Amino acid sequence: MADMACAAGLSRAHFSQEFRRAFGESPHAYLLTRRLERAAALLRTTDRPIAEICMSVGLQSVGSFTTSFTRTFGRSPSAYRTAYPPAASHALIPPCVLRAYTRPRHRTFREDTANPQA
Amino acid sequence: MITVGSTQLWVHDQDEALAFYTQKLGMEVRTDVTVAEMGDFRWLSVGPVGQADFSIVLMLIPGPPVMDAATADQVRDLMAKGFAGTLFLSTDDCNASYKELSARGVEFVEQPSEQPYGIDSSFRDPSGNHIRLTEVR
Repeated sequence: MADMACAAGLSRAHFSQEFRRAFGESPHAYLLTRRLERAAALLRTTDRPIAEICMSVGLQSVGSFTTSFTRTFGRSPSAYRTAYPPAASHALIPPCVLRAYTRPRHRTFREDTANPQA
Repeated sequence: MITVGSTQLWVHDQDEALAFYTQKLGMEVRTDVTVAEMGDFRWLSVGPVGQADFSIVLMLIPGPPVMDAATADQVRDLMAKGFAGTLFLSTDDCNASYKELSARGVEFVEQPSEQPYGIDSSFRDPSGNHIRLTEVR
């Protein structure tokens, strides 16, 4: 807040007042909304734990995060996550990569050598 | 119509790359998924804020059997030399971006300089990938 007020060349109180007049909400409310939107995106597109997502968007308390998130999106972070397709559906893993990573690691005959040129 | 959706960069360490691209370059995480069935393969992508239709996949250099050790060494060698591909970033103010990124600890290889096409600079990511930061005129 102090940094933004300074960048705008206004006192903190005046900045807050002018921000609210221009955008219809306080800088604090705006910032919280942006953080919650970012958290919602991370809930949909990553499989990171909810506490980690809370911290990564700049919030300190998982309890407050859950309350604010539920108020904004109408459901808890975990319910929100389960309402969407799993995050893995966003991973565009090509079939060749999938096949390479799922090949059996322990085979009884060795078609691969340590050095394929050998 | 064909457009560019994603490109891939090899990285030595995905957590290190993630911190660099998000905290230093200011990009956002697009996808971060670990697939247990694929031996904890991690699909990690980031992208510039405000350019939702493009992402960079930060791919860990695999080991055998996906990639044999000799090939992985060759990839690492090329990356160390900065020859494993280049990412061309655009900025509307190269000097301002240079100052901003430098303040965040990005070490530039080339400081902003006038070129026939604009102002250009370059740095490398923690894995050695060559990144150019250009103000195109």
